[in-house]
Amino acid sequence: MSVSAVVPVKDGERYLEELLDALAREGVDETLVIDSGSRDRSREIARSTGATLLEIAPEEFAHGRIRNLGAERVSGELICFLTQDATPCPGWLAAYREALTLDERVGAAYGPHLPRPDTSPMIARELTEFFAGFTPDGGPVVQRRGDPSFLSNVNACYARACWEEIRFRDVAYSEDQAFGADMLDAGWTKVYHPGAAVLHAHDYGTVEFMRRYFDEYRGLRESTGHLEPFGVRSSIGHVRASVAADRRWMSDQGINRAQRARWTARAAVHHGGRRVFSALGSRADRMPAPARRKLSLERRGGAPGTSEAPPGSESPNGRATSSPDLGQATHLPQIPPSEHVNQLLERDDYEVVARIWREGPTPLLDPVPGMAKRERLRLALVIPPFTRGSGGHNTLFQIFSRLERRGHACSVWLADYQGSARDVWPAVLRHDINEFFARFDGPVYKGFDAWQGADVAIATGWQTVHATLGLDHCRARAYIVNDHEPEFYAASTEHVLAEDTYRHGMHCIAASPWLRDLLIERYGASADAFQLGVDGDTYRPLPVERRSDTVIYYARHATPRRAVPIGLMALAELHRRLPQVRIVLFGTDKPLHAAFPYEHLGVLSTAQLARLYSEATAGLCISLTNFSLMPKEMLACGLPCVELAGVSAESIFGEDGPLDLAPLDPHAIADALERLIVDRERSEHRSRDGIEFVATHTWDHATDEVEAGLRHALRSRESKAATI
Amino acid sequence: MGAAETSTEQQLKTEIERLHERVQELESELVDVQARANAAVADWQERAYWLDRLHIDLNALMRRPGANQLRLALKAVRAAYWQLKLIKRRLLRQQ
Repeated sequence: MSVSAVVPVKDGERYLEELLDALAREGVDETLVIDSGSRDRSREIARSTGATLLEIAPEEFAHGRIRNLGAERVSGELICFLTQDATPCPGWLAAYREALTLDERVGAAYGPHLPRPDTSPMIARELTEFFAGFTPDGGPVVQRRGDPSFLSNVNACYARACWEEIRFRDVAYSEDQAFGADMLDAGWTKVYHPGAAVLHAHDYGTVEFMRRYFDEYRGLRESTGHLEPFGVRSSIGHVRASVAADRRWMSDQGINRAQRARWTARAAVHHGGRRVFSALGSRADRMPAPARRKLSLERRGGAPGTSEAPPGSESPNGRATSSPDLGQATHLPQIPPSEHVNQLLERDDYEVVARIWREGPTPLLDPVPGMAKRERLRLALVIPPFTRGSGGHNTLFQIFSRLERRGHACSVWLADYQGSARDVWPAVLRHDINEFFARFDGPVYKGFDAWQGADVAIATGWQTVHATLGLDHCRARAYIVNDHEPEFYAASTEHVLAEDTYRHGMHCIAASPWLRDLLIERYGASADAFQLGVDGDTYRPLPVERRSDTVIYYARHATPRRAVPIGLMALAELHRRLPQVRIVLFGTDKPLHAAFPYEHLGVLSTAQLARLYSEATAGLCISLTNFSLMPKEMLACGLPCVELAGVSAESIFGEDGPLDLAPLDPHAIADALERLIVDRERSEHRSRDGIEFVATHTWDHATDEVEAGLRHALRSRESKAATI
Repeated sequence: MGAAETSTEQQLKTEIERLHERVQELESELVDVQARANAAVADWQERAYWLDRLHIDLNALMRRPGANQLRLALKAVRAAYWQLKLIKRRLLRQQ
């Protein structure tokens, strides 16, 4: 294929000779230099190297227009556009020739801009990182509709057929970007080829840089409607991050300390000024014309839609002005200017879910006969992020810690979809697990890069299930279900995903018989149940006098399933009936607004809770979903308490167990509390029964049940294999 | 004929049992290896706690220019200090 190069020039003598020599070396068949009024040796250089010279008046220059003119004047099947300061590196043309063959519909290709030795570190880093972002593996990349539309006439090559179909828009700036978008929309593809590199200088002074940014963002606003966002705090953050990145880059490049210090100051000015001037540029239409002209490197003061490049104005790289044709559509409703938003996430939060939906779970290993009975198993617990006081995590680690002590090879893996624990490193996670929940001697991993396989991979919350389904080298998967989590959410993505977790055939080990039955009946899951244990060393009747006038209430308002408004209404009713009763609220940082006076205790430690339970008269704890540990801990301390009837408590305590059950009705709950306060005999009876009942609910027992559930998961795999 | 068949079946059964036992042995070894690997990683995490808490990646830190020179300088200072201490002790002993 024959190749032509088109180079618009104005006062470009500094690199022009080097550029034209490089084109000759690369084997370009035809070179056209379009000069728009140079006052230096540019024309002379062009003639001396044998390039065709086309001279136009400065006022005729417009980026899109002049490139269309150039393409019309040359005959090559491939048309390369370069700016006057872009020198092709060896292999440039061969790379373009290759790029144009990578896909049937390749209409254009572009290559990286490499910094020259004297390019400032800020620009050098940005260029390097920007172009590296196009090619994760360092090879050529074909870009189609939906991919970035970036295209740069600093260094680009077009197939003539594509140019003839699309042509450059007649815009002040960004004619290449517009072409990139237009061609992808028209079904053409383009190629980024890292081998088609040019050396490209950006050696303006600081003020020139700022004014250039002003012009560029003004042009972007005019051609694409882009409005650059600006905020003081975000800008300070951006500048800090950019300067830090520059310093790291300089350090990596071996730039010495004195130079680094000098460039750090320059970098701060550069990035700060850039934020300000780019924001100003994209809002230039709101500024008076004289101010616009002062800020513009090209001295453009006119409003968008006017073409008024002053003859003889300075225009580095041959850039001057033109204006888009806005048409006569002023009677149509105007779409507000769009705001460009950069890619902020490396990947979507729920990408792992989409992968499981698309590809299905990773196949399990073939079962090994007798694996369910083997004394020691390899167990991997996959957990969501946690904080101190996470109840579900406490349950998990009370059990997992005991499984570890029984000789199983245990490891913990944190699945963090949304990066909420991104600043917490693995050793800290491990330490926190030991400090917050229970002793764990095994390793803790963040993510699954070091995944080693397991006999049973154990998901532990809806956020961990899809990640667990994607793990390979597992004999079985199981799912410890602490609660019916879809009920934690209103109609939402989270609700749908939480429901989805029960439908992938993982064997569930539910934290109550009620929850087990729900999983079987509603989702058709296979499930076992375990009973939450109580730490008998902490929760026991302490040697303190039990009061006869105190009702305590776990008023965790931040957890909707605790139905705190109903609990507060019940206590208000109780207060109306028995105003002398002392009401104490705990479990929430800030005092709640209530229609009765009460004492606020805030969030308490386990030892403090045991003391409170040992001296109160009656407790109230409500859960609209699965039964929680707290009523059991109250009972263990000899405190009679009231829970909701008709949800999950009956599955543990029976209809007439040691727990007082009341429907979700403030009056009925107040009745139950009143009975416990007024009827001393009933209260003492409940207290004795409660202690006796809970005595069998230990964490060792819970661990037995969970271990049986894990072995059940393995056994199911064996029996399925045997059936097949 | 019948006796030969019974003998073959018996051999097959014995072989299957032997293979089962071998699989159990290998599985048990796998758990042992996993347990040892877990312990090694956990031990490393125990020791790296403060580095992780302070977000310090020592490898990255030591790759920075001047870091190794600083380490060598500190090593030299320490060696000189111990040398001086040794000389002082010898001198005191001679007195």
